[in-house]
Amino acid sequence: MIWQDFKYAIRLLSKKPGFTALTTLVMATGIGLSVYMFTFFHTILFKDLDFKDGASLVMISGSVNGKQDGYRINALDYAEIMRSVKGLKEYGGYNNANVVVSATEGAIRFPAVLAQANIFQLTRTEPILGRSFRSEDEKIGSEKVVVIGFELWQSQFSGGNDVLKQSMRINGEKYNVVGVMPEGYMFPRNAQIWLPLQIDPRLLTRENSTVLRGLAHLEDGVSMAEVNRELSVVMKRIENQHPQTNTGVGAHVTSIPGVGGADGAPVIYTMHTVAVLILLLASINVGNLLLSRALERGKETAIRVALGAPRSRLISQMLWESTIICTLGGMIGFLVMAWGLEVTEPIVATFYADPLAFWWDFGIDSYSVTLFLIILISTIFVTGLLPAWRSTGGDFNAVLRDGTRGAQGKKAGRLNRALVISEIFISMTVLIASAVMVQSAYEQTNRDMGANTENTLVASVLLPEANYDSDAKKAQFTKTLQSRLENSGAIETAMLATSLPGHYSSISKVIIEGKEYGKDSNNSYPSANDIAIMPGSLAKLGVELRQGRYFNNSDDGLEKSTALVSESFAKRHFPQQDAIGQRFRLAKTTKDTLQWVTIVGVVEHTIQGNRDGDAASMPSIYRPLTQTPGKQLTIAMQLSAKANLAVQHLRKVLQGIDSELASYRIETYQASNDRITAPVVFISSLTAIFALAGVVLAASGIYGVMANTISQRTQEIGIKRALGADEERITKEFVFAGVKLLLWGGIPGILAGGFMGFAMAQMFGTSYSALIFMVITMVSIVVATVLVATYLPTKNALRLEPSQALHYE
Amino acid sequence: MSNTLIKLENIQKIFFTDEVETHALSDITLTIDKGEYVSISGPSGCGKSTLLSLLGLLDASTEGLYQLAEHDVSNISKRERARIRNMEIGFIFQSFNLISDLDVEENIELPLTYRKDLNKAQRKTMVDNALAKVNMSHRAKHFPSQLSGGQQQRIAVARAIAGNPSIILADEPTGNLDSKNAEAVMELLDLLHAEGATICMVTHDPRSAQRAARNIDILDGQVISDKPLSKENKSNTIVAA
Ligand SMILES: Nc1ncnc2c1ncn2[C@@H]1O[C@H](COP(=O)(O)OP(=O)(O)OP(=O)(O)O)[C@@H](O)[C@H]1O
Ligand SMILES: [Mg+2]
Repeated sequence: MIWQDFKYAIRLLSKKPGFTALTTLVMATGIGLSVYMFTFFHTILFKDLDFKDGASLVMISGSVNGKQDGYRINALDYAEIMRSVKGLKEYGGYNNANVVVSATEGAIRFPAVLAQANIFQLTRTEPILGRSFRSEDEKIGSEKVVVIGFELWQSQFSGGNDVLKQSMRINGEKYNVVGVMPEGYMFPRNAQIWLPLQIDPRLLTRENSTVLRGLAHLEDGVSMAEVNRELSVVMKRIENQHPQTNTGVGAHVTSIPGVGGADGAPVIYTMHTVAVLILLLASINVGNLLLSRALERGKETAIRVALGAPRSRLISQMLWESTIICTLGGMIGFLVMAWGLEVTEPIVATFYADPLAFWWDFGIDSYSVTLFLIILISTIFVTGLLPAWRSTGGDFNAVLRDGTRGAQGKKAGRLNRALVISEIFISMTVLIASAVMVQSAYEQTNRDMGANTENTLVASVLLPEANYDSDAKKAQFTKTLQSRLENSGAIETAMLATSLPGHYSSISKVIIEGKEYGKDSNNSYPSANDIAIMPGSLAKLGVELRQGRYFNNSDDGLEKSTALVSESFAKRHFPQQDAIGQRFRLAKTTKDTLQWVTIVGVVEHTIQGNRDGDAASMPSIYRPLTQTPGKQLTIAMQLSAKANLAVQHLRKVLQGIDSELASYRIETYQASNDRITAPVVFISSLTAIFALAGVVLAASGIYGVMANTISQRTQEIGIKRALGADEERITKEFVFAGVKLLLWGGIPGILAGGFMGFAMAQMFGTSYSALIFMVITMVSIVVATVLVATYLPTKNALRLEPSQALHYE
Repeated sequence: MSNTLIKLENIQKIFFTDEVETHALSDITLTIDKGEYVSISGPSGCGKSTLLSLLGLLDASTEGLYQLAEHDVSNISKRERARIRNMEIGFIFQSFNLISDLDVEENIELPLTYRKDLNKAQRKTMVDNALAKVNMSHRAKHFPSQLSGGQQQRIAVARAIAGNPSIILADEPTGNLDSKNAEAVMELLDLLHAEGATICMVTHDPRSAQRAARNIDILDGQVISDKPLSKENKSNTIVAA
């Protein structure tokens, strides 16, 4: 019997290939897009790591005033957490670092992990050669050891078994190789060099302690939420004991992938909501198309019921139709989605200068398959049960008697209205949320970050600590490097800084002389981007001087203390006074930063790092590299010859100064800036695709339902015209009904979309006028769609003479 | 003032479908006076319904002159046609054509709501009067699907007469009814005629046709006979029924 129903459904579908293709396509779009979106975020943020006990592995991070932006934890707080929090076990701390390795092919920079001894035990993994770390390795002054990854072993030691007798030069010092990890092993980041984390006990003061990232396993049966409650109690206690350093400082656990998601929550929720709504939209549309087909066959169904067909048979037959359509569409969607995931990885890789997180392996996994099956079954029911319930639940006797004419019946009318209202609601929500996202991305990519990027190459260089252990040596290196670079035909000007305009920089707390700050907490000091830059570089980069002077030769000297500040800094801290001549110092207590620094000039605002919201408006201070040398430098080179000549020259100069110097991340200045906005552009393009799909689905859906409703009411229109209603009256009646639906669906839609849009606009610092403009534009689009969707079919129905409309079937 | 209500001269109606021309009506000329009760009969497909549609301004003729109450209505605007249908014409259809979303009262009130000269209270009185006339006051709040076919047709008659039209057009009003219900509806029409209404009715049923005072026979879109029916004939039929 079921087989019979199946064959019958196939016959019905193949009789109307256009209808079948359309519904299949709609379903493919809905299922494909939503599975993609869910899998994408799952891969990035929610996946359990593929280690034994990976599900209970958590990361402990800090927060300041509720903001979780990847803050590390003070080692003293961490020690307190280890003593007090009962829900965690196997604590291990680590830090990320970049190291310079003197390799066979010259100095190379590698990402590395400085880890406590149990780092490998946390993942239940043993080295394939040698040993893992021991607690002795953590003591300062112990033998310098390194554990390396399989791939590094292959490339640097040719996979030789004598590797354990060998050593590596790392940051200018000799490290003995004591272990090799298995192939593909990376933890907790995409790095293949593990060094012991050594904490200097002299640095364990609250004011200036080492910071680290915590790792641990959850105790059996304990949830992250429970641990977070424990953590907040502990952190509160520390805050009470040490208000000066710890006011507003918190700690929390997340999964390791989840670390990145904390502050992006509005975007992540929005994207997921949009995905679910698109799926719903697709299902509603297909359900409605199936329904109108079922209604076309209403008479046939009524006859079958009259002949004694049980209701279950009728439902089974209709469910088959939706099963076939959803499965076919779902499989197409799934294939396209799988392809989409494959191409995602290379795209995402362009967002980051470093290798991607090791668990970011985009592709079909058990999660996506499970999700696909769940979604498939739900869509079958949503699309199938709607028409089945409607067309078999009706009073078949009334259908057969055909007693009244014209109108479509109360139930069908109510259902159609509900359909249109939900389509309006969904499209409004999706459109507004997506528009705000796209607008934010547009604003971010077009924000002026303060410098010219034309015809400029950038490269980074990391000074090995051992060779450059004093400020004097670093300062000397900086000067030598700049003069040698500029002494060539290939490079017109060279600029050096710890961070160029547009790039991420470190952020410091500053204390303005003569200002009162909340005495109880260090977190009440204002923050600023803290940049050291070579005198002359700001002017060459096109960062304009607003007041005072740029740095010059008079600023040279480690004992001097002058600074430039950004216009935003001057406005924020000296709104009434002249900033020139004012003094500030960094809120650190080490001796060398205690001195007051005098402001000698004000330059235009530069954006350092993220282009959104708070980050974009963060003011900056600039110190001369000749006063505060750094060990990680970025070089910008304006070219007078071909780029590859300049790169060759750069390599030669570095080698000439020190064979252990590594330059890395060589690219155009523009590219390095684009990378910072690339994730936002990617996410907003994704959203734009969703929005586009949403608009097409919703518009066609609304039109479909409206056209259907109105055509079902052609006879009614005929009757009304026979009774003397003129065309204007009929048109008004339908448009008015459309407007009513618009209000019912649109107002909640505006609220929901506006809410999500507002959350994102706040996060990205999108201007509210743009937000309002977007809302109005999107609302107009939906309003226009609904009006067209009512007006055209009405006009169509009115084209018939009343006498014809009366006989319309 | 003349007594002529309807005047048709050389009316033609041609339907153009898929390059096929159907001459539904060819050269119809006739007049109907105020207060007449006319039945139109003829074989299926001869053009009866088409003629009634033209009379009711539900459709326009291809050729010819149509004067309604001495006004030429062959070439008036759609809006004006709608107004005339609303004020001057009452329709009764074979398949009742009530609107199922509206209850009985609302169905009857519907054409009245299209008029600007009536307020809510006036409409209410007119609806009540019409309902009383068809003897259906007790069903005012029912929906059409809750009524029998005969009852539905009585509501349709009430709707047709509620606005006091100058002419009632009925297309096989008893075609979907059994003889008892048909009889009730025919008696209603008799009553309306007695009260002075002009009635134009298409019917297959010779017994119903006999109730009219004048019978027009149509064949292939042309009038083949147009004669008054004698009083005796009429009374005979009533006796026979
Ligand atoms: N809208 C139309 N398009 C094309 N041809 C039509 C249309 N309406 C009617 N006709 C044709 O015009 C002719 C007259 O139709 P009409 O409905 O007036 O017949 P009738 O006399 O009412 O028949 P019956 O007694 O069966 O109701 C028929 O041949 C019909 O096929
Ligand atoms: Mg007919």
